[in-house]
Amino acid sequence: MGQEFYDELKALVGQEGSRLVAVDEVCKPMIRHWCEAMQDGNPLYTDEEYARKSKYGSIIAPPTMLLTWTMPPLWPPKEQPPHPFERFLEKLDKAGFYGILITNVAQKYHRPIFPGDHITFTYKVTDVSPEKKTGLGMGHFVTTTFIFTNQKGETVGTQSLTVLKYRIGF
Amino acid sequence: MAGKSIYWDDVKEGQELPTVTTDITCTTVIAGAIASRDFTPVHHDRDFAKKAGVKDIFLNNATICGFVGKYLTDWTGPEGELKEISFRIQTPCFPGDTMTKTGKVIKKYTEGGQHLVDVEYNFAVPQGRNCGGTGTIALPARGH
Repeated sequence: MGQEFYDELKALVGQEGSRLVAVDEVCKPMIRHWCEAMQDGNPLYTDEEYARKSKYGSIIAPPTMLLTWTMPPLWPPKEQPPHPFERFLEKLDKAGFYGILITNVAQKYHRPIFPGDHITFTYKVTDVSPEKKTGLGMGHFVTTTFIFTNQKGETVGTQSLTVLKYRIGF
Repeated sequence: MAGKSIYWDDVKEGQELPTVTTDITCTTVIAGAIASRDFTPVHHDRDFAKKAGVKDIFLNNATICGFVGKYLTDWTGPEGELKEISFRIQTPCFPGDTMTKTGKVIKKYTEGGQHLVDVEYNFAVPQGRNCGGTGTIALPARGH
């Protein structure tokens, strides 16, 4: 693809969509379910007595659960205007870059997340690479940055995710 | 592990973290995907994964995050406070793989009144490196 296409992609970088709201509050059953799947025995996440005596004074969520609280529901489908990131992916799909693969993940934890917290977030595309030759085919690396906030308006964490959108078989 | 944590004072740069191996099964992959509310079919539907060009379902990125968190705080104990993690995913981890986790302390320092260590880690599977990256953890220090 040419410079013109890349310029069109770059024009979409930095556009922020509306704030998205977690379906559920942070809760102990989801924390315990996560610990069960990860086989994580950290007592801060599941041992009430230990957690109460800790500096947090209560159970906290594993910090790595950051993205889990705000995952979209499987059902019912939510009607909301397409996010700039979705428009970004659609543009790449239309240009033949159908393949998608997560290549890089970075999370920063600013504050502990407690049961009862209600998480919201905003996200935007923060970077797109020129077309590059990769092991899977020609593609663009697209980096998205998420900022997660609790009900007090405090930032609890950030995540950046880089995906490779590539032409399958080229 | 309940309660026991390592002290920043006792950690040395270059120190290796314990090597931990984990056998990955279909249950590991699917339980991790669903616990992280990731319903993308390549993480639970083998037929779908094959049609998408991979040999089987594979670990999703949230489960890798969970494994990184567990690997680091299993080493430090519960008073080790994760500040950040960052990694690159290189090759998928499939059911039937044994994942071998290794790590090393690369930096020990104080900043803003916190006692910090930077570690690097690699999670290997038979076909190559599943993920590799770094993390920063705040540790308790003696006399603080």
